[in-house]
Amino acid sequence: MTTVNSRLLLAVSAAGGLFLAGCATTEGVKNPSGVPVTEMRPDERGFVAGTGIESQDLVTVTDRMARSILGIPQIARAQTPPSVVLEPVVNNTRFPINKDIFLTRLRTQLNSKAAGQVSFLDREMMRTLQRERELKRSGQVTASSDPNAVEFGGADYFLTGKLEGMSTRTSAGTSDYILYSFRLTDARTSRIVWEDVAEIKKQGLEDAAYR
Amino acid sequence: MPVSSPRHRVLPAAALCLLLVSCATPPGEPRAGASTTRGAAEVPERDRVLHAYRDGAKALRAGRYDAAKARLDEAIARIGGIIANDADAARARGLFSAEGSKIFIGEPYERVMAYYYRGILYWRDGEADNARACFRSGSFIDAGTAEEKYDADYVLLDYLEGLATAKLQGDGSAALARARAHAGEKRPLPDYNTAANVLFFAEYGHGPRKYAAGSYGEQLRFHVEDSPSRSARLILDDGRKVVPLPAYDDLGYQAVTRGIRVMDHILGNKAVFKAGVDAASDVALAGAVIASDEARRRERRGRDSDDAGAAALGLGVIGVIGKVVSAATRPEADTRQWGNLPQRLSFAALRLPPGAHSGRLEFLDRQGQVLTARTRTVSFEVAESDRDTVVILSELTR
Repeated sequence: MTTVNSRLLLAVSAAGGLFLAGCATTEGVKNPSGVPVTEMRPDERGFVAGTGIESQDLVTVTDRMARSILGIPQIARAQTPPSVVLEPVVNNTRFPINKDIFLTRLRTQLNSKAAGQVSFLDREMMRTLQRERELKRSGQVTASSDPNAVEFGGADYFLTGKLEGMSTRTSAGTSDYILYSFRLTDARTSRIVWEDVAEIKKQGLEDAAYR
Repeated sequence: MPVSSPRHRVLPAAALCLLLVSCATPPGEPRAGASTTRGAAEVPERDRVLHAYRDGAKALRAGRYDAAKARLDEAIARIGGIIANDADAARARGLFSAEGSKIFIGEPYERVMAYYYRGILYWRDGEADNARACFRSGSFIDAGTAEEKYDADYVLLDYLEGLATAKLQGDGSAALARARAHAGEKRPLPDYNTAANVLFFAEYGHGPRKYAAGSYGEQLRFHVEDSPSRSARLILDDGRKVVPLPAYDDLGYQAVTRGIRVMDHILGNKAVFKAGVDAASDVALAGAVIASDEARRRERRGRDSDDAGAAALGLGVIGVIGKVVSAATRPEADTRQWGNLPQRLSFAALRLPPGAHSGRLEFLDRQGQVLTARTRTVSFEVAESDRDTVVILSELTR
């Protein structure tokens, strides 16, 4: 009897020990050592995704718009590079965005793909530039040219964009359609000389644990 | 060779059962309203959004707007996506993990408030369109309720969406009409004043508290402790200007009018499974005891007790396994919560001259009497720029 009890005690202790050892390990823990940083192309869809505006959309849309703008006669056949002022994008979707990023990428794309074909006027710097000019005019700082001459460039065109959205939510999931429209307006005539759109629709359904 | 009785075999199995049950207990979950002073590195991934929510609200009320933006953006980056094919979520749906093991994004009223607060901060930064986007996202999150009348029924989200549109030279009338429909006649909403340059966002009372009900805590419920502060008003210019701040939205109401979640069905099934397995285990263990007694009786009478002993052992093992499975089944609802939310939300827009302004904020009870102990002084600076001045008036201190 004592022998059997001892054996049982030993077996239970062994089983318990094994189980506790199992509890103490990271067995079953997802990525216990973490996931190394993965470098991705900005036009690549990552594993963290939503139905909103993402980097791949920004890249797709601005690439397309840059190609489209460069093809219009007002730019392609202009005798002198037209001066363009970028106006902030208007966000009319349900997704808060960094609005400057669209125009920044569009400007850099245009500058890199058609250097010299278009020139951009830096209106964001206007206040700083005016202050500098005043300093030159007052003689507080040196000037390499006549500071009284009007040299700030006037805009030939205004480039702006608008993001419009349409969202649907049902038990079958979430769907978001976003229309990206950009236009180039002649500053002299107010005519829209170019306009293009890109549209992206996304949909998905959340895990039941979140519904 | 010595013979062991069935009882001797059942006892070690029961000991093993207890050991297994203790091992099945998950690590402790953060308590509701727990301190948020822990460093970001210590916050478990699944609670990151929860801490971001709490810290965001706290920073907003303390006037640390950059910190509030950072924390709310962190939360929105997570809650703004679609969580699918997620291992944590799958585990939370499984029998042996509690709902609280999933990554926390909060119930709709909590997610709505993340967007609401972020919208306020966007407005403060002069980005009315991004503010509008946040209010729309808030409304979108509140859509899809079980009952249609509660669908996207926040008054202020629609009202502010329309105001932002009107200020951006758009037509905000549709949003205003929706807001008025939600508000009803008891809470009349003023027409949009696009010339207003100061926006007051007020909040008072304490938000709903989550608790788990049901035999196994499988039902998510909300406790709403009605705040004595039923409305508020801002007194400016030594009493010459009184800005009413009635409660347009009530988060307690929003929390309890969502209806049943899909997850509630899953938790209900888990609870049924747990109860069923537990009952079956009880029957098996009772059978094991009876069979064990029978085996002993037979032994004493010198008769063959092997069959009864085997039955006792078999039933004992089944009962023990059942108890282990039942104990390991986790139907508990997730009661992690954004503990520093207000109960009531209000808003007012006003045209004020640039410069310093001061006054007092009064909270009123159900009868419209001033709750003097809650009165506080308010001071703010109206900027000369085109940008609207945003003033956040919170009864909550943290």
